[in-house]
Order: sequence, then C-alpha cells, then structure tokens
Amino acid sequence: MPAFGNPLGLLALLGIPAVLAIHFLQRKAKELPVSTLFLLEHTRREAVGGRRIERLVPSIPLWMQLLAVLILTWFLSEPRYPREGSVQRIAVVVDSSASMAVFKQAAADKVLQAVPLLKGSASEVSLTVLESVPERPRLHAGTSTEGLAEALEAWQPRDGPVDPTQALRLARSLVSPEGSVVYVTDTPSATPLPFDAVEIAVGEAIDNVGFTGVSFTREEGALIWKAMVRNHGKSMAERTWSVISREGASEARVLRMEPGSITTLQAAFPEGATQLRVVLSADRFTLDDVLPLVAPRPKPLVVFNASPASIQDLSGRLIRALESAQPGNDAASADLSITAYNPLDPSPPSGNCVVFVEDETRTGAWLKGGIIAEAHPLMDGLNWQSLLVRETIPLEQKPGDLVLLRQEQRPLILLREAGQAKQLLFNFDPALSNLEKQPAFIVLLHRFAERIRSAKIAPVSANLETGQALTIAAAPGLPLSLRATDIEGRELPAPKGGVRRAISSPGFMSVNQGDTRLLDAAVHFGDPREADFRLCAASDMTPGGGAGAIERHTKKDPLWRAWILALIACLLVSWRFIRGGRKEPQPVTT
Amino acid sequence: MTGPEDMQAARNAAVAAAARLRLPLRSRSWRGQAGEFAGSGTGSSLDFQDHRAYAPGDDPRHINWQAYARTGSYTMKLFREEVRPVVDLVMDASESMFFDPAKAKRSLELFHFIRESCAASGASLSTHCIRGDAARMLDPAEVHSHRWLDAVRNQSASDPAAAPNVAKAPVRANSIRVFISDLLFPGDPEPMLRHLGQKHGSVILLCPWLESEARPDWSGNHEFIDPERNTRHAHRIEPATLRRYLDAYANHFALWKNAAQRHQAAFARVPAAEDLAGALFREAVPSGALESC
Repeated sequence: MPAFGNPLGLLALLGIPAVLAIHFLQRKAKELPVSTLFLLEHTRREAVGGRRIERLVPSIPLWMQLLAVLILTWFLSEPRYPREGSVQRIAVVVDSSASMAVFKQAAADKVLQAVPLLKGSASEVSLTVLESVPERPRLHAGTSTEGLAEALEAWQPRDGPVDPTQALRLARSLVSPEGSVVYVTDTPSATPLPFDAVEIAVGEAIDNVGFTGVSFTREEGALIWKAMVRNHGKSMAERTWSVISREGASEARVLRMEPGSITTLQAAFPEGATQLRVVLSADRFTLDDVLPLVAPRPKPLVVFNASPASIQDLSGRLIRALESAQPGNDAASADLSITAYNPLDPSPPSGNCVVFVEDETRTGAWLKGGIIAEAHPLMDGLNWQSLLVRETIPLEQKPGDLVLLRQEQRPLILLREAGQAKQLLFNFDPALSNLEKQPAFIVLLHRFAERIRSAKIAPVSANLETGQALTIAAAPGLPLSLRATDIEGRELPAPKGGVRRAISSPGFMSVNQGDTRLLDAAVHFGDPREADFRLCAASDMTPGGGAGAIERHTKKDPLWRAWILALIACLLVSWRFIRGGRKEPQPVTT
Repeated sequence: MTGPEDMQAARNAAVAAAARLRLPLRSRSWRGQAGEFAGSGTGSSLDFQDHRAYAPGDDPRHINWQAYARTGSYTMKLFREEVRPVVDLVMDASESMFFDPAKAKRSLELFHFIRESCAASGASLSTHCIRGDAARMLDPAEVHSHRWLDAVRNQSASDPAAAPNVAKAPVRANSIRVFISDLLFPGDPEPMLRHLGQKHGSVILLCPWLESEARPDWSGNHEFIDPERNTRHAHRIEPATLRRYLDAYANHFALWKNAAQRHQAAFARVPAAEDLAGALFREAVPSGALESC
C-alpha cells in the first residue's frame, strides 16, 4: 500500500463529481419532436426515462475524463512505495502520575491506535515506552505492539505530578530527531510540548471523593484518628464510609459533601487493634477511597536534662514538648543529653547532647556585627537576627565542628559529629542572651532531637503516604527485609527499590532486620493534587509521521512519467471524441 | 409548411414531376364512364374490335351493311370501348405527416402530384383525407384554394395517434387507390391493404420519409415530443437502444413491404431529402407505382 507524500492531492478527486456534473448538465434532455415513438416502445427496457440517476450517459469522453481525474489525483498525491528495511522509532512517554490509573485503559487504547499512524510507511517500528519519571526503567522496548500492550497493561501509575520535560528529552535522544515522541497524559498542557513531542490526552473531568490525610490525637487516654475527606468534584457527592478492623466492619454511614468541601471523620482507635481501614464507597479513582491505619508509635527518645539552671525551666518544657520523650537518669543511657559547659571546668561532652556554655563571670559585652546562619537543614528557614548575646568564654572548637551560626567571626552555634554522636553546641551562655525568647531556638532544638530520634535503632509504627521516602535506622551489616500487603491483605511483591520508599499502593508494610521489627506502617494515598480531576481532559491531536517520515521510509513512484503521459493521452482521446461528436446539426425532427 | 405559398410551391413541383411521370393507368383495362382509356368491353370508339351475328336488341347503327350485301345475313361490327380511369386518393392527414417542414413539403408534393397526374390523364379522382378515425372527402374547389389542409388538421379524432381508419374512405370499384402515408403507426397492415384492395382495386402506397427517422443520431437523454398527442416522453438513448430502434424501424417497413407484395400493391418510399421528380424516378418507378410519360 503506497503512502501519499501530498495527501492534499487527494482533493483532486473532487474533479470526479465536477466531471459528472458537467456531463450531467451537458446531457440535459434535448427536446425533440418524434413521430416514431411507437417504435421506441420496443426498446422500453433501456429507453424509458424518468429516473434521474440513469440520465447520465456513459461515453468515451466521460470515461476518459474520469480516468484523467484519477490519474491526476494519483500524480498530485505523490504516491510513494515502502522502502525495504526502514524503521520508525517511536518513544511513548506515559504520564506516571497517579490520576492516570483511571485512564490507563484509554491511554493504552490510544497509544495502540496511534502506533500505526506513527509508523506510517515504515516497514518496521521500534517502540520504547518510558514513564514521565526519568529515572524509572523503561516499561517496554521492542518492535511488537503486543509487547507494548502488555507493558501498558502491567504499568501502575502512582506518582505525583511530574514535569515530563526530562523524560521527553530522554525519549527524543532515544529516537533521534527523525523518530516520534508521544506524551500520553490525562491533563492537556497549556503550552506546546518540548522536543517535538506529540501530546495525547485521554483524561476526563470526573468527580472524586477521597481521603487527603490523617492525624492522631489522644483524648482521655484514647487514641483518636482523624481522617480528612475532600470532595474534589464539581457537584454534590454522596458516599458511605465504614471502618474495617480485625473485629469486623462498622455500619456504613452516609457522607454528603458539597463541591470542594472537606470533612473530617474521626473515631477512637480500637483498643488492642494494631491496624484498621477506613473505607469510602468506591468511585472511579480508587486509590484514595481507602485509608489504612496503624496505631502510630514513634521511637521513644530518652532525654537526660542536665542543663544550666538558667535554662532549666526552658529545657524542661522542651523535653515535654517532644513527642514520646522520656526523661533519663544519666547521660550514658539517654539518647540525648542537655548539658552545660563550664569553661572554668572544661570537660568534653560525650554522646548525643545539646551543650550550653555556662559562664559564671557574667561580665561580657554584647556581641556586635552581623549574624550569619550556615546553610544547613537544621538552620533552614530560621531567623536569628534578633538574637542578642553577651561575650562569654568560648567552647574549645575542634577542626570538624560545623559552625551553624556566627556573629561576625565569632561562632555562636556549632554542630559536632564525634563518631556516632551528634552534638549541638551553643557557644554562649543562654543566661547572657535572649535565646529563650527566640522561636528559632525552639525549632532548632526540635530538629536536632528528631535527628537523634531518626538515627536511633528502634521499632516504630507510622502512617505513611504511598511512595514516601523512608529513613530506617538499622544496624550496619545486616540486610533489611520488607513485607507488604495490599488493603485486602494480599501479599505484594517487594519493591525493586528496596526499603528506600514506602510501597506505591495503599496497604500495609513492615521492615525487619533479622528478627528485629523496625517498622510497621500503614500506607495510604495522600496526594490531593492527583485526586483532583477537574483539569483533566482529552485532546484529539492526531499523531503522524509527517512528510519527512514519508520521505525517509518510502521511495518515489518510478512510473510518474508514465502517469503524465497517460493523463495527456486521456485528455487527447477525450478531446478527439468530443470533437468527433460535434457534427453539423442534422434535421433531427422525428 | 402549410401556408398558401408553400402549398403553391408544392403544387408547382408536383406539376413539373407530373410532366415526366404518371400513374400506371395504361397497364390495366378499365370499365366505367366514357373516356380516353380503352375499356375492357365494346364501345363506340373508332377502334374496330370484332364481328358477330346480329342479335335482336343490337344497335342497328353498328350493322355491317357491306357484309350483309355480300352474305345476306346481318353481321354486327364491334368497336372497343373507351372509358375514364378512376383514382381514389387517400391522404393520411395525421400530424406526423406535417410536423416537419421537409416531410410536410414532400407529403403535399405527393398529394398534388397524384392530383395533377390524374388531371393530365383525365382520370376521375376522388380525394379523402383521414386523421385517425376522422375522414373528410375533399372538394376540388377546396383543394384549389389551399385551405383544405387546415380544415383537415382541425378535425378532431378520438385518438389522433391511432392508425388512419381507411374504412372511412369509400373506394370505388375498379379504381386505383393511392394511399399517401408515412405509415408510422402501430398495427397490422393487412386489414388496411385488404380494404384498399377491395372491389378489384389497384393499390399504390406512397410513403414519404425522413432521413432523421430512418437513421437518427440520438444519444443521451431526450425528451421526445409526440406531435400527434403533443405529449412529452423522457427517454435515454444509448447505442444499444438506438440499434434496437433501427431494427424496429427496418422491421416495420419490411412488414409493410411484404404485405404490399402479398396484396400486389405498389409500394414506394419517397425520401424527403431529394427533389420530387428524382425521388420518384428512383423509388416509385422501379416499384411500379408510377411510370414515365
């Protein structure tokens, strides 16, 4: 089947109705008085008229002109024949955002429909399917559309919103400038895609109600879970919800929600239960219709408070504010110590600790100069400009100390990592400063305490979001094992990425190191951006290989000169018969 | 082609042709009124025919007295009879004879030719015009005034396209019946020829025709107008259709020709394209419908 280098040439087929119309008008019935009508009765089968469709008389000029139109159409549309061994490379980048789960089948159908169009006249096709997250492995690479269909069938989009630019760049580099890059998404982009990518949008603005997050509180000793539910749609929604635990399911309750509204569902976590599910009646986007929960149990943090008397009250409040913080009796057994450093009686701090200088001289002048914070996660976003500090005897600074805050050249806060121990050193006496009134101070202490907690090897129960990054403190040398189940308790295959991230689908997971349980987690979908389908739509951009692809994969019609000669011959024959038919008018009067 | 000037032109052409051609009146014996043609019986002409014995009741003026003087018995002297030939002209006045100028001219020329030929030979002529089932006998004065055709064409027939009902034209015994018609009507020629040939009559068929009827160049869509009924008929003519028409046309006149042969009628198709005398010489003389003077 030849391809057409100039499909617009097919418009020349309009010449066929034009020729027929001209012949029809030319063949308008001539009025003729005839006295031999009774003889025409013998030819009634062919001659009786009245049906307009039979009024056109086939003639050699007519056939010649129709043939000329067909030849002209053939010539103008520039037929091209497939070139042996030509390959069209096609890279399909699929939007891996979770909302595509709803339109996965439609996306697969569209892609399979688009492949023949993209293949065009090429004799072979090379297919590569990538996710819009560029670091993911290819979903498919091969030549068969069956493999492509299977890859798309097995594909599970679970990510958040992803900028496809990098994936498109990678796709373009894979297929070279002559190949085709297709981006399949559910939300049409407002601007043209880069790298000459063709967009196929298969979305639809569906209504969706789902969980957007969960929090826990303790009220009267009971653990209360609070789940937020949002109606992402544009119309009133009615759903039912129930809680399913090991003991069974609660009675379904009706939930009516205005468009865009958020409702909080809450209940006490059943005594003795370790996990449960809150389930909404299903809609098309099912990922956020279930909220698996475990009773959260953070790692306990044992804090030994040996802070100077000047901040004893403050540090006591800090410790109480820390989640799951327990007071310790000595620095050796504590996870974190808050201690003082007396320059007159210097002793190096040990273990994880927060150290304050305790200067009993109290005679220093106010430090002057600009306060500069180091770019460090502990200091991120903290404002220290209102900090006022008097000069004190400084700590002994070691080479590996990282200055987190300094005033002019004088270090104020340092971070010291001595082996496994992490020490936050305040190089001034808090009693000779307004540190107690600095919000940044409170936040810094909390951040540091959480660092200590996260590095502690201890079991933890947590409620995570799908794909959330995990930081699991584990003993070195022993591998971690992950076990995951879906909502219904069916075993899930272990993620290829190991235990770096939570599972990508709602469910439960646990991480062990040997026989030691390090993590029990419930994983829920918690990305409200993907649950909102109001901007989803379909677009009908038809992909095609373009004229360049046709030229690459096909060769010119070798008979084009013959077609021109045939066209001229048809016109000459038609002209000859028309001329021959125009005889002198005879007395046609019968 | 039916105005007085046209009529006169047709008559002039007919007179010229009649000077060279005539009806075959001498090829048969006649009975009837005294005239210029030898009759089949005895008469009072100067031509001696026979002798026989006198019988009571014979005209004594024809007794051969010289023979009586020689033989003493009465002997009658018999002479040949001289009579006037009788011609009945039947003119098909259907509209198909006159809708085309050339055909109308040829029809009128044939009409006047017969009249002039009869006048030249002193034949007794009776003229009838038939249009469908309507018939009219023409008065000689009416013919001379050239108003006869309008009167004839104004006759109302129940079906103007029907075959001319020649039975409405009374024919005389022993007459020559000249039927001028294009014969373009459906039906069996037998009854018509049988009627024309009754009472020992001789039949001559003169048939004007057009080339465009015999070999039309129709092609494509046509709206044919029936001149007799003035109705329109949409037809699509393809080459195969035209071939079938030509076959039908040829078969139609072959049928008439065969029927004419069976009834010993002279049948001549006179083309309208040639001049009258030439056409008659070429078509009517060989068929015995006319003879040269």
